[in-house]
Parts: sequence; structure tokens; C-alpha cells
Amino acid sequence: MQTTVFEQVKETVYHETLANGLKVFLVPKQGFSKTYAVFTTRYGSIDSHFRTRSGEEINVPDGIAHFLEHKMFEKKDRDVMHEFSKNGASCNAFTSFNRTAYLFSCTDKLDQNLNLLLDYVQEPYFTDASVEKEKGIIGQEITMYDDNPDWKVYMNLLKAMYQKYPINIEIAGTIETISHITKEYLYQCYETFYHPANMLLLVVGSFDPEAVMKLIQKNQGGKDFPPAPQITRIFPEEPPAPAQHRVEANLAVGLPKCMIGIKEKENGLTAEALLKRDLTTKLLLDIVFGSSSSAYEKLYDSGLITENFDFDYSCEQDYAYSIFGGDTPDPDQLVETIKTIIEEWKQKGIDQDDFERAKRKKIGNFMRGLNSVEFIANQFTQFKFNGNDLFSVVPVLESITREDVEKRMREHFQLDQMAVSIVRSAAQQE
Amino acid sequence: MGTQVHEIAFTSSHINGMNVHILQTEKFKTTTIVTMIEQELSVETVTKTALLAMVMKRATARFKETKRLREYLDFLYGAIFDVDVTKKGERQILQIYMEVPNEKYLAQASTLLEEAIQFVGDMLTRPCVENGAFLPKYVTQEKETLRKRIESLIDDKMKYANQRVTEEMCKDEPFALLVQGRAEDLPGITGEDLYRHFQEITTSNPINLFVVGDVDEQQVKKAIETHIPLQRNAVKELKATSPVKNVEQERTVVDRLDVSQAKLNIGCRTNIAYKDDDYPALLVYNGILGGFPHSKLFVNVREKASLAYYAVSRLESHKGIMMIMSGIEAKKYDQAVEIIKAQMDLMRQGKITEEELSQTRATLTNQFRELLDSARMMIEYTYNGVVSGRQRPLNELLQAFETVTIDEIKRVADKVQIDMIYLLRDKKGEA
Repeated sequence: MQTTVFEQVKETVYHETLANGLKVFLVPKQGFSKTYAVFTTRYGSIDSHFRTRSGEEINVPDGIAHFLEHKMFEKKDRDVMHEFSKNGASCNAFTSFNRTAYLFSCTDKLDQNLNLLLDYVQEPYFTDASVEKEKGIIGQEITMYDDNPDWKVYMNLLKAMYQKYPINIEIAGTIETISHITKEYLYQCYETFYHPANMLLLVVGSFDPEAVMKLIQKNQGGKDFPPAPQITRIFPEEPPAPAQHRVEANLAVGLPKCMIGIKEKENGLTAEALLKRDLTTKLLLDIVFGSSSSAYEKLYDSGLITENFDFDYSCEQDYAYSIFGGDTPDPDQLVETIKTIIEEWKQKGIDQDDFERAKRKKIGNFMRGLNSVEFIANQFTQFKFNGNDLFSVVPVLESITREDVEKRMREHFQLDQMAVSIVRSAAQQE
Repeated sequence: MGTQVHEIAFTSSHINGMNVHILQTEKFKTTTIVTMIEQELSVETVTKTALLAMVMKRATARFKETKRLREYLDFLYGAIFDVDVTKKGERQILQIYMEVPNEKYLAQASTLLEEAIQFVGDMLTRPCVENGAFLPKYVTQEKETLRKRIESLIDDKMKYANQRVTEEMCKDEPFALLVQGRAEDLPGITGEDLYRHFQEITTSNPINLFVVGDVDEQQVKKAIETHIPLQRNAVKELKATSPVKNVEQERTVVDRLDVSQAKLNIGCRTNIAYKDDDYPALLVYNGILGGFPHSKLFVNVREKASLAYYAVSRLESHKGIMMIMSGIEAKKYDQAVEIIKAQMDLMRQGKITEEELSQTRATLTNQFRELLDSARMMIEYTYNGVVSGRQRPLNELLQAFETVTIDEIKRVADKVQIDMIYLLRDKKGEA
């Protein structure tokens, strides 16, 4: 077992790659009551076109990664959720574009819960009947999302920005696509993506790292796995330009919702370069649109935005985009004003004071995140999958200069890369 | 289980007419400061208080421009700051939330905690006021923001359904009010009204201030004494509230909206409140019925009948209301209601398996032990004790989960009555 100490934030990470390829990371947090464990496979909704173990190229129905996540909880002779309940643990799972995570939190019986987590995720059991039954439940989950205007405006923006890359498809699929899911498909996906070598286990909280590592080694040592498959994911080539510049949809809402996205043209960064781009762009967005910016003041005072105006930057190796927006009485006016603001910033450049303030804020917010085992658990794995360390955020932030942000602004703020998504009530239709 | 947890032990004192509660702990890398002002929830003041919260956070005497105020917060290493209103039974709580990094983790910021307390003092004692009124510019803008916030309730269909059933079910009770108030009250409120209201509640209503972090108690007390010099009158007695309500007849309400999924909400009166001896048994009752993935509702509505993605029950502990919620296909309404009622019947008959009871004990215990990892939740837990008039030591509650009997749960079940069945559904199908 190796140890990495992060001096500035006073955190220590214990880690090891097991013989079967599973990467294990342990982050003890002194004085906390609960422990949080997350077992994640690098497999999400975008991985729908790949080669199976036997080399056959297949396309699987949209929404299958999420469906598989649901079905992992059902076993022949027991119900996983009930097992966790018996141990007083609270369990959950989620599927995103590029990963599926299984997790629990507990304040007692960590050993039993960890074994349970490792065992249920490594023991698939799918039947025709249970697959059919799940279609009703997931159907209602999909319908719930269909009624959610914040999700709708976001998904529609991704569809507008991306012509081919599969982040433009719904994570849970549609009622139509999931109707094609069979247990055979589920096993094919499972065998391709759930090998330990494609997975990462993270435990954060109150425990003794030596003992927990031993338990994990013992659990994994007692199981046989075939050699790790070579995973070949097949992605379409994404053209730089957005698919559409504007999409609209109708749902029952109080005020129209408007989200603006800027799609990154150049991708392919990894590790620290990727993290630096991520943090630099987030600083940029905070300087330009943060609640203490002149743009925010102008937009708020003119009534064009409400307090739910928000912005974010998502950055992965293959795709990256910023989004900003919220509720507005006048989406068109909001879009025009934001375009003007962006052009003005490109004219005048980034101010040193604004830059320093944004950096301080970001460091403070990060420190706050470290209070929460959930925050660490949720962020850590994503950082690792991208070749980074969550606890290195502060030094990387500190290395960013005003000039970096200035340069990033000119690269990223390109109006022809922009797309707009609007959701409003049928009655608000112009 | 069985092992004692570290009690949530705030040290309480009385400073400048406020109850101050401090919890020293090395667990967190930030310091959290929360001020709670308690009021009766009433038609006369609900909107004023909600608006006041929004106007307060725009400016203070020291920072008259919002942009300057926010720049200052950023400068305090991105201090988290908000003023908001929440509902606890028939109380409306105006809450000032502030969180700053602990100075120990920062190279050069030795006065951060004092600056944060000073900022809270600005909010409470040095507002931005001219001629006895909050500035018209901010009042006008925030009225608009609040109106939009009230109108946007409809965006989240689960919240909307919840508010609608509460409104209908508690028609003549203050609890029916949305905590953000009523849009129709907004035009009549002036900057003068708001300032009078501000003075009234900061001089006379109960105020509790909580501090959690790796702090020096004496230093915190001194900073509060210096920077929050409130002029207080005798603290107002608030009207006592009761969860007891005998339901004469179960009622049904259907709303129609442009939605795909129908939301079924069943509002129940438990006739038990936080301060009552039966409260721990009510928590166990709710846990077995619908609090967890092993609960009767989840197992029967979702896992067995495949009718829903979620089927849960939630308690409002101060008013004594239990809300059952599920998202279903409108045409499955009768089947869903029948299954839910059958589960409630089983509870009344005490048809609870040993496994259901032990799972619920274990998961409830876990839930309450997890509080200890969040400053915000420890404050919330302790404040529930303040508002209800009964502090519940955490160990006592955990012990009660272990010793509660099926008979006690049955007794709780007998008190729970369905008051209203509410359905929010699409505009297409038949009624």
C-alpha cells in the first residue's frame, strides 16, 4: 500500500492497484462518524458502441448503462437494498455520461457493508422477467425527467451543441429505446465494462486504512476473474461546430428558462493540462458572470435574470463546454445582452483585482468541500479517471495567472460556438 | 449500534439579548455561523418576512452597493452567505447563514472569523436604511424577484404538488401558507413597512445564534458582544401550536396541468409533534412505512407492482403531518391508492416483520449519527429542540429506536389519519 500526503489541505491518501487490476483509494477523515464508499466503473451512457470480449462490434440500446445499474440490485436469493438496510447503511447508485457508481454510507458495520458492495457489483443476475419488470419503474423515472424543465433545457442544450458525440442522448434513454433491452445485452455490457481493471474503489471517512485495505484484498483475492478485456469504445468524429444554434421546447413553467452553451473546439487534453484548463475556465466564468461581477449586476438590475442564474464548465478529454443561464422573462434579450458582455470583456481584458478575488473565492469553496465526505467521494473518482488528484486543486489553482485566464477567454469565448436552449410554457410562446 | 455517540453539545449563553450556542470541534475546515429569528407563521407577516430576507442581503450600511457587498464576501475566501426563510410547523424562521474557511488552513487571514461575525452584525444591527426605510431600489427589485420565485414553484412538480395538497388540506390553518409568502401582498409593502418589521423582529422575537467550528469560545463570545450590539426588549411569547386535528372525512382533490407523470400525494395527520413522547415511535412508524428502500411503500408500490420510480413518506415534525408521495401513471391512480392504504392498514394491525423493524432501527440510527458530520445539520437538530421546547439528546433518541415495541408503533398508527388524497395529472385523460 502506498501513501500520498497532501500537506496544504492536511489529507492523506492510501492507495494500491490489486492483482486483478482494481484501483483502490482510501481517504481516512479523523473525527467523522460516517464512512462513504464508492465503487465506480468507467462506463456510462456514452459507451453504447463498442467491441465485445469476442471482438464483435455492437450498438446497444440508449439507456442501457443506467438500466444495468438498476438491475445490479436484484439477486436470485436476496435484495441488496434490504441487506444494506440490515446493516444500517444507506445505499445508492448513479449513472452519468461516462461512469456508473455504486455507493453506500454508514456509521457502523463497515466491513460487512464493504463486502456487500464488492460482492453485489461483481455478481450479475439478470432474468427476462426482472428485465421486463424494471421497464415499468424506469419508464416512470424517464417520465419524471420529461416533466423536469431544468433537465429538459440542459439536455436540449447538449443536443444543440453536439452533432454526433453521444452526450446528446438521454442518460436513461427513452421509453422506446429501453423497450429493446434484453438480459443478453445486459450481460454483454457487464462483461465488457465491469472487469475490476476498469473500476475504482474509493473509501472516505472514519476507519483504519490498513485493516480496510486488507479486507478489500481478501475479498478480491477470493474471486476469479478472466484476464482484463481490451476495451474498444467507438465514438463518432464530432465536428467543431454546434448542431443547432437554438432549440425550444414547451413545458409548464413559471418563467421561461434559457441556457446558453459554448462548445469547446479543441479537445484531447489529459491529466494536469486538463485540470488546468478546467480550473482556468471556471475562474474565467466566475470573473465574468459571478454574483459580484458587473455583468451579474447589470443583468439582475434589469430584471433579465433571477437569483437562480448559474454557470458551469464541464471538461473531459473528448468534450468540453461551458453553460450559463437560468430563468428569464425574455430569453432573446438575455442572449443578446450576454453576447455583448462577452464582446466587452474581450475588448477590455481581465482585471488583476477581479482575478485575485475569484481565486480566493475558489480556494475557500474548495476548502469547504473538504468538510464533506460526500463531496470528496463524488469528486475524487472523476479526478482520478482523468489522471488527476482532487487534493491538488489548490496548488494548480495557485499556479494559474491572470494571463492564463486572459488567454483562455480568447480561446473559449467564441460566439460562433454558441448554442441556446429555451423552455417555456405553451402560453408564453411568442 | 448500542454504542453511545458523541452528544451534540453546544455551550449556550445569553449575549446582547440573543441565545448564543457554540460548538467547538476540529472536524471542519470552515466555521459556520447561523442566526435564526423565529416568528409565528401568519398571513399578516409571511410575505413581509420573505421579502425582508431578500432585501437584507442586498446591502448594509457599510456596503451600500450589492456589488461591493459581494466583492467583500469573495474577499473573505468566498464566504458562503445567505438570508432565507424556512417553515417549521407554524413558525416562519428568518435565517442568516454564513460560512468562512478556518484561518488555520490559510496562509494570511488571521481575522477571518471576526470579520464574519462583524458581517452578521452588519445584517442584524447596521442595515442599509435611509429616512426610516430600506432603499426603494432594492425593495422594488426584490419584490420582482420574490414574485418570480413564487411563480416558479410550478417548475418543480413534486414541490408544487406538495404545496397544493398542503394548501387544500390546511385551508384555514397558517400552515397552508407558502413560506415565500403571497404574490398578491407584494404591491402593498413599502420600504418603511419592511424596516418597521425588521426593527420589530430584531428587538422582540426570539433570536438564536449558532457557531460551529474549530474556534475559541471566549473569543467568539467577545466578538459577538462587540459586533452584534442588538437593543432588545423582552422576548415575545409566541402562540403555542398543536398537531392535533381530528379528520372527519377524507377528501380528494385533482389538479390538472401540462405534465406527463401524475403526482399522487396523500396528506396525513399524525397528531404527534416533535415534543411528544410518541415522537420516536412515529419516526420508526414512518421509517417502516415509507422512509427507506426496504419500507413497505417502496417494496409494494415500486418493486412489486412496478407502478412508480419513487414512493415515500415524509414527516413534518412540528406540525405533525406525514406526506406520502409517488409519481405514477394517472390511470394507475386507483391501484396505487389501494396499495398505499393497504400498507397503512398493515401498520395499524401491527403486521410488521422483525426484519422490517430491525432494518428501520438500523437505518434510522445511521441517519441520526450522520448528523454529526455536518455543522448545518447539528445546528438544525439543536434548533428543532429550541423551537419545539424539548431538547432531545441524541443518545436518548437512538436508545428509543432500540426499545420501541410493535405495540407502541400500533398506537402511533392508530393516531395517523388520511386527511386528503391529491392528484396532479395531465389535461388529457378522463376525470
